[in-house]
Amino acid sequence: MIAMQRCTLTLFLALLAALPLPGCGPRETTTTTSTTVGGSTDTGAPAGGKTYLIGMSQANKGEPWRQAMNDQLAAAAKQHPELNVVFADAAQNNTKQVADVENFLQQKIDLLIISPNEAAPLTDVVAKVHQQGIPVIVLDRKVNGEAYTMWIGANNREIGQKAGEYVAAWAEKNGRKPCNVLELRGLEGSTPAKERGDGFRAGIAKNASVKIAASQNADWLREKAVPVSQSMLTAHPKADVVYGHNDPMAEAAIISAQNASVDLDRVLFVGIDALPTPDGGIKSVMDGRLDVTYVYPTGGAEAVEWALKILKDGVKPPREVVLKTQEVTSANAADLYTKYGGK
Amino acid sequence: MTPSPTTNPPPAFGERLRRWGQRALLLQSFFGLIGVLALSIMFSPIRDDRIVFLAPGNLLNIVRFASENGIIAVGMTLVILTGGIDLSVGALLALCAVAAAAGLSKYHLGAFPTILMVLGLGAAAGFLNGLITTRLRIQSFIATLAMLSVARGAASLWSGGYAIPLSFGSGAGMAPPLFKSLFAGEVSLFGLAAPTQLFYFAAVSLIASVALQRTHFGRRVYAVGSSEAASRLSGVSVDWVKTAVFALSGLLVGLAALLHVALVNQGSHIDGSGYELNAIAAVVIGGTSLAGGSGTVLGTVIGALILSVLDNILGLRNVQSEYQLILKGFIIVLAVVLQRRR
Repeated sequence: MIAMQRCTLTLFLALLAALPLPGCGPRETTTTTSTTVGGSTDTGAPAGGKTYLIGMSQANKGEPWRQAMNDQLAAAAKQHPELNVVFADAAQNNTKQVADVENFLQQKIDLLIISPNEAAPLTDVVAKVHQQGIPVIVLDRKVNGEAYTMWIGANNREIGQKAGEYVAAWAEKNGRKPCNVLELRGLEGSTPAKERGDGFRAGIAKNASVKIAASQNADWLREKAVPVSQSMLTAHPKADVVYGHNDPMAEAAIISAQNASVDLDRVLFVGIDALPTPDGGIKSVMDGRLDVTYVYPTGGAEAVEWALKILKDGVKPPREVVLKTQEVTSANAADLYTKYGGK
Repeated sequence: MTPSPTTNPPPAFGERLRRWGQRALLLQSFFGLIGVLALSIMFSPIRDDRIVFLAPGNLLNIVRFASENGIIAVGMTLVILTGGIDLSVGALLALCAVAAAAGLSKYHLGAFPTILMVLGLGAAAGFLNGLITTRLRIQSFIATLAMLSVARGAASLWSGGYAIPLSFGSGAGMAPPLFKSLFAGEVSLFGLAAPTQLFYFAAVSLIASVALQRTHFGRRVYAVGSSEAASRLSGVSVDWVKTAVFALSGLLVGLAALLHVALVNQGSHIDGSGYELNAIAAVVIGGTSLAGGSGTVLGTVIGALILSVLDNILGLRNVQSEYQLILKGFIIVLAVVLQRRR
């Protein structure tokens, strides 16, 4: 028995040792901590220049949108050999994110970029970094108080409103009276879900015949949105519009509509996020599935731009930079895919 | 390894008592399902004087969406009957889903090699769960928790942090449409378009049910769950039985992953989150005891159907999802309390 136990343990350890499997996707930015992008600290310095160490603390790399933020940030940093970026992923855990930032302080970073998991739990540690004279760029979600250098993010409410206005105009143009909308909501209680919902309602208010016939939560997830939208389409087979708070949920509704033999050309499918990835919304518009989606910019590239200005040129940045969205339709999808570095 | 069946005759009286108990429990789950169905019909929206809930298309949807959880829950039933638990099923589903999508659209393996690879991967991971549990003497709760973590991490590495999308067709980089029609297609049955998921669910349930009630393997599964020590003394290879049920659970997760990928047209590392809890809920509602040794596959099937009916009717009525969660919690407790009263 003991021998068997040894044997299994050895097998287990051997498997463990073999873990960095060859051919398992890009390694550059996927390990949890301390992957550097750009030159290494010892040798990568451009002649006569100073190198800067930037810590990027990500709330949860499990979400594709945040993975895209990291990827865009890494791609932008690669253009500047004087920047070294170390990444940390808090996996949706506030405590882990606090520890990640503390860890960065030990590594003597020159600038912190943080996309907080939640505002309140991260306010203190961000303030601590800021008080040590290290510039802090906050991305997407904010922290409380004033102790950070700048915030870069987009406006969910405005994006929701643009989507609503598009639907209002579309219903007018296509003579849909009434125009029944099915809404697939993001995680209940999350700020983006509320703002994308409220903005949309403000947008469709321009056309009295547009009504939200049903609204259900699918937690931002495609796998959850398939059964949810199937029930919605069963209850409302004459729906005119499906509005997904993100692209994966809108895509799920297309699958359900196909299952229910709904005429896809009759229904307008609207999403948000428009990631420039093979599974993202821009590609979906290019392939003729989604009708329209809106870019929810990650700010990854912009954060690198501002970091450079702050560190190298000593520029005092504005407190807030609000990123503009972009409407993606079949007319511009292919161009945008290239522009945002789609692969 | 396997003891000859003659050395292990089940005690006649205990066996009869167990069967009787099972039937009574099953009856209760049946009443549960009938109750939920009756309530659903009562509260169904009505369109053109027809009860929307009872439309054949809607009923088939219920089965379509019960299948994935149901198949996983059947595997979970086997594990729970031996007194173990498998927490890795959700993460393993993600890993298998990524493997399936990668096999189809990245490595272009074709439908059948991909299917074999995914089923093999699931079974191998399950087998490893079993080995770690039995050989390293680690409780299955912990062993499969570790597997959950490993599988989730591996899925994320493999997919590069994004979902691997699938488009079915014959062009370059497209996945074979055969895969879609095998696992998320429709078959004409009595003039209705029956989802193919239904057949996998039915076949898995039937085979598992017969295996449990009519074979030596099945009797050993119950025996190990009732009393490990007694089984060991009577010559049952407890470790072998346990390893086998974990491997079967993994294999069924692989099958569920194939259905999953075909349904949502992608394989993603974030898929399957919380699926272990849904599967356990189906098992528990179906009357299987978490202590092991008592329960049936048919009960689990009913449990999975009850959960799917609930999701469906609450969706049809556009009930806020918070209430859906709360209601599900109440039903789980109610089901267990009702089944204990005897």
